[in-house]
Amino acid sequence: MSRFIATSALALTIGASAAMAQDVTLTLWTESATAPEGIFAQEFSEMDNGITIDVREIRFDDLVTDTLRAFATGTNPDLIAIDNPDHAAFASRGAFLDITDMVAGSDVIEIDRVFPGPRSSLSWDDRIFGIPRASNTIALYYNKDMFRAAGLDPDNPPSTWDELLAAARTLNDPANNVYGIAFSARASEEGTFQFLPWAQMAGGTFDNINAEGVADALELWNTFLSEGLASPDTLTRGQWDSTGTFNGGNAAMAISGPWELGRMASDADFDWGVTLLPVRAEGGERASALGDFNLAIFANTDHPDAAFAYLEYFWSQAHRIWPEFTRMPAIEGVELAPTGDARIDAAAAVFAEQLRYARNRGPHPEWPRISQRIQGAFQSVLTGQEEPQAALDRAAEEIDEILN
Amino acid sequence: MRRVLQSMRDGIGFDTMLVILTLSYLLVFAGLPLIYNVVISFQTVDVFSLGTLMHPSAGVENYVDIFEDRQAETVLRNTIIFTLGSVALQFTLGFALALFFHQNFTGATWIRGLFLAGWVMPGLVVGVLWNWLLSGDFGVVNYVLDGLGLIDEPVFWRSNPETSLYSVLIANVWYGTPFNMILLAVGLSQIPEDLYEAAELDGANAFQRFWTITLPMMRATIGAVIALGTIFTLQQFDLFAAITQGGPAGSSTVAQYWSWELSFREFDFGRGAVISVLMIIVVLIVSLIYVRSTKAETQL
Repeated sequence: MSRFIATSALALTIGASAAMAQDVTLTLWTESATAPEGIFAQEFSEMDNGITIDVREIRFDDLVTDTLRAFATGTNPDLIAIDNPDHAAFASRGAFLDITDMVAGSDVIEIDRVFPGPRSSLSWDDRIFGIPRASNTIALYYNKDMFRAAGLDPDNPPSTWDELLAAARTLNDPANNVYGIAFSARASEEGTFQFLPWAQMAGGTFDNINAEGVADALELWNTFLSEGLASPDTLTRGQWDSTGTFNGGNAAMAISGPWELGRMASDADFDWGVTLLPVRAEGGERASALGDFNLAIFANTDHPDAAFAYLEYFWSQAHRIWPEFTRMPAIEGVELAPTGDARIDAAAAVFAEQLRYARNRGPHPEWPRISQRIQGAFQSVLTGQEEPQAALDRAAEEIDEILN
Repeated sequence: MRRVLQSMRDGIGFDTMLVILTLSYLLVFAGLPLIYNVVISFQTVDVFSLGTLMHPSAGVENYVDIFEDRQAETVLRNTIIFTLGSVALQFTLGFALALFFHQNFTGATWIRGLFLAGWVMPGLVVGVLWNWLLSGDFGVVNYVLDGLGLIDEPVFWRSNPETSLYSVLIANVWYGTPFNMILLAVGLSQIPEDLYEAAELDGANAFQRFWTITLPMMRATIGAVIALGTIFTLQQFDLFAAITQGGPAGSSTVAQYWSWELSFREFDFGRGAVISVLMIIVVLIVSLIYVRSTKAETQL
C-alpha cells in the first residue's frame, strides 16, 4: 500500500512539474501497443502534464529496418522500444540520446538497480542510452508426469549436462511420439539466443566462440539431434513452436523462457516444473540468455525532457510488469507479486534466479553479423557438414574479422 | 501556340506526349532505382549512411567478396536448380491441366477457376501452410506418404539439408502452376477448331495434332509463360522466409534470399546490391526472350 501511495505521489509530481511546459506530442514506436510501454504511454498521456504520446505499433520483424529507414531520412520517432541486442548499433552511432547526466539528476531512476546483463545492453562506452523495459531468459521446463513414469525424480531435475543427456535418453520414447527434449537451433537470432548460454557455461564468449569447451556444448546439441532425442525440425523451428510440442506432450523437456508460462498454464494438461539451465559439471559456471527490450530516446528529438519524464514514469511502474504482463522486471529489488497460479509462481522464482546469470548478447554495433556467424557454426555441425571444433574455429575467425 | 495545341489534339504532338509520359514514368520509377542499385553495388553502404546520397567507393571489392564467399557456389547451384525445376514443373503441370480442362466437360470452366484459388493467396500464407504440411513429426505430407506405404519413417523436408531446397520447390510449383495453366488455357482457346478438324480428316492422330498444331500455334504463349515463370521464380522470396529461412546451414539459400539477408539482416547494402545487379542481368536476358515471343505473337 505504501508503495502505491509513493507511486501515486510520484506520478503527481511528474505531472505537476511537466505541466509548466507547453503541450508536446511525442511518438513512440514499439512492437506491441499492449506491452507495458504502450499501456504506460497511454496512462502517461491521460495525466494532466501537457504531454501526449502517440504509440505506433510495428511488426517485430520490421522494427529495426523500419526504424533505420526512418532514422536515415530524419523521420524517426522520439522514443522507441527496441530488442536489446539491437540497442548497441543505435547507441554507438549517436542515434540514441545519452541520458547519463539526466539519470544522475533523476530522483526516480536508480540506474544502479538494473541487473548487470540489461545494464550492459543499454550502455555504450560507459554511458547510459536507455532504460530496460523488462528482462527474460531461458530455463529448463520439464514434464513431471513423464519423469515419474520413467522412474526419474520430479523433484530432482537434471542439473548438469550429463544428467540432462541421461534424462533425455531415458525420457525419449519414439514409439509414443515423445522426444526427450525440445529447443530451437534455428538460423535466426532465436538460435543464437538459445546457443550462447551453453557456450558461455563452457567458458566461451561471442568474441571467443572457439574457446576450449565450447565444442563440448556444441557436441551436446549435436548428440540431442544425432541420437534422435530432439526433433530434426529443431533446426527450422522457433522457440514458441518447439515449446508447443512440449505443451502437447510430444517432448518431455523444453528450453524456453517465461513468455511461455501463460500458454503452458492453460494448454498443458500435465504437471510441469521449471529448473535452472543445467551446468557443464557440478559447481560449474552458470549462464543464460538475456532477452527483452530497452526503451531509448532518439538524440534528434525536440523534447528530450518530456521524453525523459515518460521514462521516469515507466520506471516508477516497474512493480506492475510481472503481475500485469508476466514479464520479469530488469530491476533489482522488485518483488514478483503472486499471480494466483502456483506453477507460475514457482516458475517465477526459478526465472528470477536464472536472470541473475543472464548475459547480454554483445553489446556490439555489428551484432546481427556476429550472430549470423554463430548460427552458421551450429547449423553446419547439426547438419553433419562440419566437426564442432572446425566450425567454431571458422566462426571465430570470421567474427574476429568483423570485430577488427 | 495554336499549332502546338492543334497537334496535341490530333497528330504527332499527342504521340510525343504519350511517349514522354511513359518514358519519364519508367525513368523515375524503374530506371533510377535500377541505376542506383548498380551504383551502390560499387560502394560501401551501411545503415547509417543509407540516407546520405554519397557513399565511400568500394571499387569491385563487393563483387570479389560475393564470388569468393563460401556460400556463393551453393547459392548459385540452388538458384539454378530452384529456377529450372520450378519453371519446368509448373509449365508441365500447368500445360497438362490446361489441356485437361480444354476437354470442356461439364463444370470445366468452373473448376478451372477454382484452381486459381491457390494462386491468389499471399505468398506468406502459402508458405506458412506448406510449413505445416511439410513438418517432419506431424506433417500431412508425411502422413499421406506413410499411409501409401512410400516411406517407413518421417522425412524432415525442411530440416534435412538434402531436401530443404526441394521443400520450397514443391511449394513453389504448387503456387505457380495455376497461373501457368490459365495463361496456357487462353493460348489453347485461341487455336481455331477447324485446324484440328482438317488435320483429323487428313488422318492425323491425337499426338500428331498436338505436335504439329497445338505446340507451334502456342509458341508465343509458351515463350511468354516460361519467361514470366522464370521471372516470378527469381522473385520468389516469401516461401523461403516462411519455410526454411534459407537453412538449415544455408542449404536452401537462393540468390534473392541471400541478397535480402545481406541487405536487411547484415545491413551490408553494397554486397546485397551486387546480387541484385547479377540477377537483373539474368532477368534482362529472360525479358528479351519474352519480348521476342510477344513480338512473334503480334505477327501471327
